Amino acid sequence: MITLDHVTKSYKEGTYALNDVNIEIEDGEFVFIVGSSGSGKSTFIKLLLRELQPTSGKIIVAGRDLSRLKSGQAAKFRREIGCVFQDFRLLPDRNVYDNVAFAQHVIGVSKKEIRKNVPPLLTMVGLSEKYRSLPGELSGGEQQRVALARALVNKPKLLLADEPTGNLDPGNSWEIMKLLEEVNNQGTTVVVVTHNLEIVNAMEKRVITMKKGVKVSDTKQDNLIVRN
Amino acid sequence: MILRTTIYCIKQGIINIKRNKLFSLASVGTIAACIFLIGLFFAIVMNFQYIVKNAEEHVGITVFFDEGTEQARIDEIGKQIKDMDGVLSVEYTSAEKAWEEFKKSYFADSPELAEGFKEDNPLANSANYTVYIEDISKQSSYVREIEKIENVRNVKYSESAVSTMTNFGRFVGYASIAIILVLLAVGIFLISNTVMMGISVRQKEIKIMKLIGATNLFVRAPFIIEGIVIGVIGAAIPLVLLFVLYDRVVDFVMSQFHALSSIVSFLPIYSVFVYLVPISFGVGAGIGLLGSVASIRKHLKI
Repeated sequence: MITLDHVTKSYKEGTYALNDVNIEIEDGEFVFIVGSSGSGKSTFIKLLLRELQPTSGKIIVAGRDLSRLKSGQAAKFRREIGCVFQDFRLLPDRNVYDNVAFAQHVIGVSKKEIRKNVPPLLTMVGLSEKYRSLPGELSGGEQQRVALARALVNKPKLLLADEPTGNLDPGNSWEIMKLLEEVNNQGTTVVVVTHNLEIVNAMEKRVITMKKGVKVSDTKQDNLIVRN
Repeated sequence: MILRTTIYCIKQGIINIKRNKLFSLASVGTIAACIFLIGLFFAIVMNFQYIVKNAEEHVGITVFFDEGTEQARIDEIGKQIKDMDGVLSVEYTSAEKAWEEFKKSYFADSPELAEGFKEDNPLANSANYTVYIEDISKQSSYVREIEKIENVRNVKYSESAVSTMTNFGRFVGYASIAIILVLLAVGIFLISNTVMMGISVRQKEIKIMKLIGATNLFVRAPFIIEGIVIGVIGAAIPLVLLFVLYDRVVDFVMSQFHALSSIVSFLPIYSVFVYLVPISFGVGAGIGLLGSVASIRKHLKI
């Protein structure tokens, strides 16, 4: 699903956000990317969304070489990816239903189809009763669940979550993680960037650790090494 | 799907106007003020040119004939001049009429002085045609043509009046273009600033749209629709105002300055609005469109 082949991202000042990173993530995996601030986690997500272009190296996501994507193709590419962010990024003037439906309008789905697709997702994230509420009327956990429903409504092959529990209390954090696991169980590849080690340790998934732009460990590779 | 997306974008554009009431009002106000000024200036310029044109049409070329030219030949010359392209009218003044008019002008207070010339018209050779032409700037070429006609003794025309009017008309034309261009530039600058303010408020929304997979066109379309609708509303308001004000101002000018009413006449409102309506809507929609496109461009680079 994701291949980073000797990827480097540097800025004009000579600082490296990522430095010669190689990562391979298979279809259907659930992977945590962990590291402290400045480790390159967010740059990693931005590169996968083609918000940024690497300085060198190759990135392949869902079979597409991102460096060769033109901006028109980038839009279509992003439709295959769901994203959840720490700050939820909901449209504040639209209610829960419209926020989720918005992702379907973007790809030209008919109203009739939207009416069919959105309610089951709202039920899945436990917000079917609050479909008329505005984001400002919801708790942080509820807002993140709306964001998750929006990320899933177009049935993405890959779900990227950038610090999805960063603004949530432990209870809500666990609920979000359970939902992400459920999504993964249905076949979607899930990549979660987080610094919440308690959750990472409890979930027992593959963990890639970054430090100052360099991949310092990958539990999958480490296991392989152990096995070898 | 394209039709569905188009309808969605149009709806979103209109909904956006309602959602951002303050921004929409500010934009409508900016465009309305700008188009009001353009419209006002346009109406003044059109009327001014109309007045100058009228004045030009009253500047004539006077054609005198050789001594003893018979009336039949004079009539023939008149016909020949009338047949020339661009000649509006030809007025004949006989020697007798010329003398009568001269008497009225110079001996009105002491008619007994003119009695001495009773049997001997001093203006016997002053029968003439006054020729009015469409384009006063071409007067000298008409003069050359008329001078070539047989039995034409002399052709008189006011070169300075012609050049003054032509130059003045040209100056007004250039000045009006310059002022309208400045107003347009100011309008585009103001509206792009206002739209930019609105867009920076909605930068987050644009970014979300882009990350969800919206194409640039999908993101841009509602803003463009919004810009055009605001532009059209912004154009309609000053048009209504100008429509209401125009006749009142003309009536006011005519009633306050009686002397003017005998010399100048103003264009009827229809003649001004037949140009002003399409221009205003075009300018309004154009400013809205350009403002939106220019302001949103940099936010699409994600």
